Amino acid sequence: MASFQHPIQSLELVKRQSQGLSNVLVASAGPYIYSYAAESGQRLDVWPQHVETSRAAASGPTSTSEDQAPPEKRIKLSSPETESEDKPSANNSLTWTNIPMVLSTSDGKHVVTLTAEDKCIRVFSLSEDGKFKELSSRNMAKKPCALDLTPDDQTILCADKFGDVYSLPLIPGEYVKPKTQAKKPKPVATTLTVHSKRNLRSLEQQHLHAERAEKAEKVQEESEEKGALNFEHQLILGHVSMLTDVVAVSLPGAPGSRPRNYILTADRDEHIRVSRGIPQAHVIEQQCFGHTSLISKLCIPSWAPNVLISGGGDGHLLLWNWSEGQVHQSAPLGDSFQDAIISGIWDVSFDQPAVTSGSINVILVGLEGSPQLLCYTLESDNTLKSQGVIQLSGNVLDLTTLDSNGSIVVSVDAVRAPGSTDTWKESLVSAQILAECLQIGISDGGLKWAVSEDSRTACINAGGTSGLSATLDAKQKKAIDDTLYNLGNLRKRTFDD
Amino acid sequence: MTTPVPAKRQQREEYRRKIQEQAERGGDGDLSSVKMPQKRFFRQRAHANPFSDHNLDYPISPAHMDWASHYPAFVDPDASKINLGGTRKLTKDVEVVDIGCGFGGLLVGLAPILPDTLMVGMEIRVSVLEYVRSRISALRLKQQALKKIAATSTTTQAPSEIPATPEVEDDEVGSTTTIVPGNYENITGIRANTMKFLPNFFGHHQLSKIFVCFPDPHFKARKHKARIISESLNAEYAYVLKPGGLLYTITDVEEYHHWVLRHFKYETAEGENVADEIAGGIRDLWELVSDEELEADPCVRVMKFETEESKKVTRNNGNKYVAVFRRKADPEWPA
Repeated sequence: MASFQHPIQSLELVKRQSQGLSNVLVASAGPYIYSYAAESGQRLDVWPQHVETSRAAASGPTSTSEDQAPPEKRIKLSSPETESEDKPSANNSLTWTNIPMVLSTSDGKHVVTLTAEDKCIRVFSLSEDGKFKELSSRNMAKKPCALDLTPDDQTILCADKFGDVYSLPLIPGEYVKPKTQAKKPKPVATTLTVHSKRNLRSLEQQHLHAERAEKAEKVQEESEEKGALNFEHQLILGHVSMLTDVVAVSLPGAPGSRPRNYILTADRDEHIRVSRGIPQAHVIEQQCFGHTSLISKLCIPSWAPNVLISGGGDGHLLLWNWSEGQVHQSAPLGDSFQDAIISGIWDVSFDQPAVTSGSINVILVGLEGSPQLLCYTLESDNTLKSQGVIQLSGNVLDLTTLDSNGSIVVSVDAVRAPGSTDTWKESLVSAQILAECLQIGISDGGLKWAVSEDSRTACINAGGTSGLSATLDAKQKKAIDDTLYNLGNLRKRTFDD
Repeated sequence: MTTPVPAKRQQREEYRRKIQEQAERGGDGDLSSVKMPQKRFFRQRAHANPFSDHNLDYPISPAHMDWASHYPAFVDPDASKINLGGTRKLTKDVEVVDIGCGFGGLLVGLAPILPDTLMVGMEIRVSVLEYVRSRISALRLKQQALKKIAATSTTTQAPSEIPATPEVEDDEVGSTTTIVPGNYENITGIRANTMKFLPNFFGHHQLSKIFVCFPDPHFKARKHKARIISESLNAEYAYVLKPGGLLYTITDVEEYHHWVLRHFKYETAEGENVADEIAGGIRDLWELVSDEELEADPCVRVMKFETEESKKVTRNNGNKYVAVFRRKADPEWPA
């Protein structure tokens, strides 16, 4: 049985500002992150390495079935992940199975990732030849749902499932834990505040328990330590709802003053909140009302920082003048996409040498479990104009620009049937496609695109990713499906109180 | 075969239906025929999970909110003035909110003190809110009946001399026997989860007062996230309060009082009072109101002595801890 490979979950083009360094494409697939030369698609590095070598030793003798995999996936770099027929978490020491988020600093020196199960934010430096060096790993207490970097690249914003946004320095300094007295848990209720017979009885029990604990002089510190994070972090704002996205952005200030920083947060209760940036994130400037279902994505185009495009589960893209909290445009996705949930909104801008009117500003919208990309242009009057639908070979997972000529690399899910989030293909007919290259340009005043043959994506596809067994049972498959497709769970169910 | 409904529940449902009918009928102008609802038919477990979705009704935005049905006496006479939700506009905005209003004692107590101010109580528990609505509608009907009597009586008989109908419960607030300023037309109750949806109801700087009275203390540390006062929520309260507006808190749990001070950055975790050392943070937005000022504030008196919950605490010889914060103007942007 031929095995699948993990599709690319997250893609990021690291634009390197230093002289002489070329751009690097960073991708996460399964439990690994990969770096590729953006110009050639040649793989530069894979992380983690040491785990893989130890796994090679451990599982080498047992994994004999790997020979059946198509040989073209076996391009030998230094990567020994060829033996990863095994379930990702079964017999290795990795504490995660997937890496849902990859982002990079604007100077191209650092890459920030989130490993899923251990809720760990990891910061890497990217060496000149595109190799990862892990600088820090910080385990969050609650599951992070979105990450962003502040405009100065110095701070990571982490929005979590419990509605809180924490700020963490990109490069953690020495952390001095705030001294906390080892407080013994003492019941705070008293007979003055508790009255019912049952509550009084349980209060009595609590007092007894506290006394006993005191006598035994149990060290309470350990239990207190458990939830505490051992690195610098600060709670800067919060919703009472699961956060789905966070964006930090900067607008020019009044003449003669500094630019003004903002943080935008979106949640599954239809809220988009505009707060000031650090250190005034407790000042809420606006609430953007208009969505009627969960919001899953916020996008502020790099070329129009005063514009916000948001989407989620209500079948509409909303375009905002966010600093005023005003909806500028409400664009329905179309009848066939009414029930879809938006999984990605990407801003793509590139120069068009043939056109003198400057750059082309494109907004691409992906839907969960759909092989189609909705294509819009952002016109000069800040309205979205629909340009049609782009069909890809598998469900769109992520995309990023590859160069300034209109080449976009789109990662697709070749494991599941196009249009489905849970139906796995029987087997692969040919080599698995991980990434496709989309070429966008202008002709006759309209937008034109082609899913083109490209040496860079061909090289990425040939390199492959770690294996994914096709013979998993339904439960294991479901767990893997949920790592890629989880927005459907955010919809509200109606029930009686 | 349907399973038989327990007698008690059936009784409750029947009772509530009757009260509902009374509100819909609008009374027949006869003072004694208007019945005040009784709490025992509306009791509900004292806790609700604020993180759950529930089955909530809330407007898309403050401009979509139908206030007209809540304050019929304040609907703008110009019928062409319609809000985004398609309902009539009011002549003024709601300015006072009681978060977690419970049985609505504070609203009823405040109604005559601020007769020209629109006030709303928000409560997450369905049947408790139903009680508040029935209570307010019964109080309004009583007022209408009283006004009718006053108008028809040729003598200069003071309203208070109208024979009283002593049907009130022992901790009842609100007058059923005299005409009060505002006639309870300025208060209402709404079912809402304010921790999630407060900004859906009120715009930026709309409110002048927020009350948080005897909040669910959520004693267990694991449940502290469900407390209605926290730094994150205080930022939201600051958003809806206008500069100079007040946020009133009262609790009978000493630890909660310190929690409140701590989450407005007026106390450190060790329980030390901090005068001005902690600058920045949420402290930018709030100023603790002095005790002298609280003495003079009639709202504090109502909150402390006249609501059902405060009377219950008095009965049980409990303590009452009051902390009131004034919303400062937004800080300057960093230069």
